[in-house]
Amino acid sequence: MIKRILIANRGEIAHRIIKACRELNITSIAIYSEADKNSLHVRRADEAYLIGPPPANESYLNKEKIIELAKKVKADAIHPGYGFLSENYEFIELVEKSGIIFIGPSSASVKLMGGKTEARTLMKQNNVPIVPGTTEPISNIEEGKKIAKEIGYPIMLKAVSGGGGKGMRKVFSQQEFENAFNLATSESKKAFGNSEVYIEKYIENPKHIEVQILADKHGNYLHLFERECSVQRRHQKVIEEAPSITINENIRKKITQTAIQAAKACNYYNAGTIEFLLDKNKNFYFLEMNTRLQVEHPVTEMITGFDIVKEQIKIAEGKELSIKQEDLNIFGHAIECRIYAEDVENNFSPSTGKITLHRLTSGPGIRIERGIDVSSDVPIYYDPMLAKVIAWGSNREEAIARMKRALSEYQICGVITNIPFYKWILSQEEFLDGSFDINFIENKFIPLIPNKWKENLPEEYEEVIASLSALLKEEKKNNSASYNKSKKSSWRNLLYE
Amino acid sequence: MNEYVITVNHKKKQVKVLSQNQIEINGEIINVSLQKISNNLISFIYGNKVYEIALNKNESEYTRFLIDGWHIDAVARTKLEETAFELQKNISASKHHAEVKAPMPGLILKIKKKIGEKVELGEPLLILEAMKMENDIHSPSSGIIKEIRCKEGESVEKNSIIIIIE
Repeated sequence: MIKRILIANRGEIAHRIIKACRELNITSIAIYSEADKNSLHVRRADEAYLIGPPPANESYLNKEKIIELAKKVKADAIHPGYGFLSENYEFIELVEKSGIIFIGPSSASVKLMGGKTEARTLMKQNNVPIVPGTTEPISNIEEGKKIAKEIGYPIMLKAVSGGGGKGMRKVFSQQEFENAFNLATSESKKAFGNSEVYIEKYIENPKHIEVQILADKHGNYLHLFERECSVQRRHQKVIEEAPSITINENIRKKITQTAIQAAKACNYYNAGTIEFLLDKNKNFYFLEMNTRLQVEHPVTEMITGFDIVKEQIKIAEGKELSIKQEDLNIFGHAIECRIYAEDVENNFSPSTGKITLHRLTSGPGIRIERGIDVSSDVPIYYDPMLAKVIAWGSNREEAIARMKRALSEYQICGVITNIPFYKWILSQEEFLDGSFDINFIENKFIPLIPNKWKENLPEEYEEVIASLSALLKEEKKNNSASYNKSKKSSWRNLLYE
Repeated sequence: MNEYVITVNHKKKQVKVLSQNQIEINGEIINVSLQKISNNLISFIYGNKVYEIALNKNESEYTRFLIDGWHIDAVARTKLEETAFELQKNISASKHHAEVKAPMPGLILKIKKKIGEKVELGEPLLILEAMKMENDIHSPSSGIIKEIRCKEGESVEKNSIIIIIE
């Protein structure tokens, strides 16, 4: 039985896991860096322990220290959240050896799916379609050129140990190959300590579709349908929704079954996600597996009514899956927006500071997962995600309308947020009719920076703000005038009385 | 009666404050009511329309307002202040001396230019890492790099001067 869980994470996801613990009557144990002393995840936990200085590698990424602490405070299990150590198989191995339960897959599964070329080989062997290309790293430029020609340009060069868009290059022709190869290898050497790259055919204007799967330690597998995450910027997801409006029931059946095949291939247990690219002809290809809980898991929870985090804990305890595939249905539609502390107009640069106002939104269909509160600090050391807004509706239109309403109500001051960016996306034709693909933001939004994207704002807003500014300025002037007057009079009093 | 020049989203608007509850904008007189809910939250009635407006952040002299989920930047000056501001702007433009400041606290990852090198307006000068993100810092003007006040691997505070261009 798991009675005490140490949460090796921070921010909204730590807070999310704390909620699951509380509902299951489990003691939640937070860890925090010196920069997070007053963070919401610390305040909401049952117990909290300082783990180290602010830089992540001295705190949230310090494997040995976290495991040592977990033993010391008698934690039964560790939940890694997402990011940080969640997909670090060496960390998971250490946890396994320590006798503490890891809430997630085995280190072996994570290792298998972590190497891009190994994962591609494994998928190919198990009849999971992969993007045409190599399953081995390219050893030299001449070999690479030969293979690229066979596959047909344009192609992608991708880092074997890659992720997050680094060590990746699109190549259009034989002439460009050499230069792109050199750039991709040096970039991946720098970013991942491994210069190996492989070749994939470049899929034009694809959609990103992923399948949530759950598996227990008894060999039972099920899927919780798909999510569509095609609105991306620099390969980072911006909006996620479930179900996808791009695929029909027939493709849904195929893609979810393929996902289960993929999970079985690596003897997977716990929650995981298989990511696919979907081309214009609705062919899908395995992209990668995320061997952890994902940021966007709430949209799946909203359309299925099923709590993924609580199920993760039960699976880790060794219980069988608490539901059956035939009991799961898609109910309505859900959308998630990730609220970041970033200044969209200023090239998405991060905004740091102290939260001075935090007015939550609520009402029909709205769910918030957040790591911030009034007077929270947003430090420079970590990912600038503040919160997630999730909107559920009986259909996509209602979910979008509720999201727009919620984003107008959600007020955060002290840092600049990307909420206006979402207001823009949610009113675009391409987003509403579903014709967007993963290049949508790059092609449609980026050219409108810094000011053009706000051209359709109601003109009255500017007049309202101008009037308010004038009134505030007048008030300030009057206040300082009366302050000076009172100062003067007391001075006079001193002199003359 | 007081007259103000408000620069809102880079456009200039003239506003006359007639009283606490009345302003004139674009030659139109409008009844207004301003109620402070907290330090940075205002309930504002403009004509008959009701708004909840928050004061998001003060960036140098600009205030960033939140209205209906959108950001609007504004700076309010009296007529006199506006004249002084325009004069000042012309002087600094003729001096042709630009300071590159860190827009956020972070770590200098790479400096792409050397002292004495020529740069164009908008050219990337250095990479600043903050919150796991690499940010290109662009040149605010064309000119010659006169001074570099930091080294690669050093961390900088927000608004500290990194490079001077002449």
